[in-house]
Amino acid sequence: MNTVKRVQEPAIEAAGLGKSFKTPVVAQGRFAGVRSLFAREYRVKEAVKGIGFTVEKGEFVGYIGPNGAGKSTTIKMLAGILHPSEGQVKLAGIDPHAERARCASGIGVVFGQRSQLWWDLPVKDSYDILARMYGVSDADKDRRLDQFAKLLDLNEFWDTPVRKLSLGQRMRADIAAAMLHDPELLFLDEPTIGLDVNAKRNIRGFLKTLNEEFGKTILLTTHDMDDIEQLCRRVMVIGGGRLTYDGTVEGLRREIGLPTEIKVTYRDGCTVPGERQGTAQSAALGTVGGASLPLRIVARGKHTLTVEVNRQETRTMDVLRELGSWGEIDDVEMREPEFEEVIRRIYG
Amino acid sequence: MTEIANNRTSRLRAVRSYIKLYRLLIRTSIRSRMQYRFNFALGSILAALIQLSEFLMVAIVLAKFGSVQGWSVHEVGYLFAVMTFSKTIYRTFGDEVHHLERYLVEGELDQLLTKPLPVLLTLMPRSFRVMFGEVIQGGAIMIWALGAMLGSGQVTWWAIPQTVFAVLTGAVVLFAIGLATATCGFWTTRISMLQNMTEDAAQTAARYPLTLYPNWMGVLLLTAIPVGLVNYLPALYILRGELGIWVFPLLAAAACLVLLFALRFWAFGISRYQSTGS
Repeated sequence: MNTVKRVQEPAIEAAGLGKSFKTPVVAQGRFAGVRSLFAREYRVKEAVKGIGFTVEKGEFVGYIGPNGAGKSTTIKMLAGILHPSEGQVKLAGIDPHAERARCASGIGVVFGQRSQLWWDLPVKDSYDILARMYGVSDADKDRRLDQFAKLLDLNEFWDTPVRKLSLGQRMRADIAAAMLHDPELLFLDEPTIGLDVNAKRNIRGFLKTLNEEFGKTILLTTHDMDDIEQLCRRVMVIGGGRLTYDGTVEGLRREIGLPTEIKVTYRDGCTVPGERQGTAQSAALGTVGGASLPLRIVARGKHTLTVEVNRQETRTMDVLRELGSWGEIDDVEMREPEFEEVIRRIYG
Repeated sequence: MTEIANNRTSRLRAVRSYIKLYRLLIRTSIRSRMQYRFNFALGSILAALIQLSEFLMVAIVLAKFGSVQGWSVHEVGYLFAVMTFSKTIYRTFGDEVHHLERYLVEGELDQLLTKPLPVLLTLMPRSFRVMFGEVIQGGAIMIWALGAMLGSGQVTWWAIPQTVFAVLTGAVVLFAIGLATATCGFWTTRISMLQNMTEDAAQTAARYPLTLYPNWMGVLLLTAIPVGLVNYLPALYILRGELGIWVFPLLAAAACLVLLFALRFWAFGISRYQSTGS
């Protein structure tokens, strides 16, 4: 009965999720330390507010947003680590806070910044202990580790103490550890942070296999746009503690329009058509010659002009031709947008 | 009916697997510690030296005054030894509770909360250690104190099992105080100052007969921070024949009560865990 019902439940169901942290206001001046002990004043910081979404079984969701936007707080609430101040979470129909222990055996959690392995012991020993913690039989443990070892190249550091692993090795070992009890749902908080290209590729390949071949539901946070593009079909953006976008990756790209920055140096100044004195940072300019190019001036020096264009809408050559008609171009520099900047834009 | 029986067997099985896991984690902790043998050896020697110097302080006081408020040197030595034993048991098994601050400040509790197990079960064995220094020191003082009192006929051999009982309930009481103190950290994050009061200062105070202190403080050390239950109360009966045999059920009940309270408070505290950024 129960199992039949569970299959139909979404992997993650979050409704009106919010978390606020209370910190006492630090008094200024004399005896500040003593006074703050008795302070009744609190500053309430709303880290996350009104987050609601549903993730179906088998989805691969990217959860992105700038530092401090509330990504980790959300993940920790979903995984049962933090109790939400408001709202509700259900993982496959179970409340991870009311039934933390029961829920925990169905999820795997990886925090890129810390390890769940035993620091001073060989990698393989950590797996033995974790298997016992989750009640995984020896046969299952060996079979799964065999599989993981192939996919993640674990064999090369099997007997090395965890403290001597490189960051990339440790992360691979940690991801295998999170999957040892074969959870249906995997939370990864910045699993590729600080890794080199090879380690990233290895980890992405493994996550892809987990999702596509084994049907695992995965939610990951990252600052690496490649993680999102190569792995996720769906992306959620959080900014200032609120969900600002939830949809496909293509939809996100369309919504942002991925602006490219072009910095032009003119030999001897330029005249921007339609520009009035003192309004150098005017918004989108209508342009000469009938065809209006949507470009935006973001900075203007004596000889330089920096504009932003949407390369989805405008061809670079057209932009350069346009800019060339404003003065004699000496040099052109192009810069693709940083991911962080893109994120900042969609909630700013 | 069968359902209840099934429930009971499954709960029994869970407890048994918890105990097995607990032992495995203790072995793991010892192996981790043995990676740094020099540190372990040095730590044990230093602990013994510190313990010795602590007792020297007490010994100097006693040698000067002979007795404290009608309590003989041996009786005070007994109080000291019982406290040392109880504290050693508490810190052998529950040292990580005492060091919870580190987990709160660095957000290390996150990992433990993702396991399908009670947090205390995975937290406590993390720093299991055999405290040789404390055991030797406590044992030496206990043998000296009890030996003298047995010799003078003040106590009978019955005092030994009674003392063992007091040490065990005392360890439970100290653990409960430590756990409740640590739980405050879920609100304040830093707890070392509070621990100075409820653990270190209180335990040191209870090395002497509580009659030494003003009344209100004696009451405080038997109720709010019940360190007096560890050694003073049992000593009143075991050594001096005051009170009555009912002291033992009382101790057991009190230990269960404070432990239950501390565990409830702990469970509530965990729901207030704030973790750290990222």
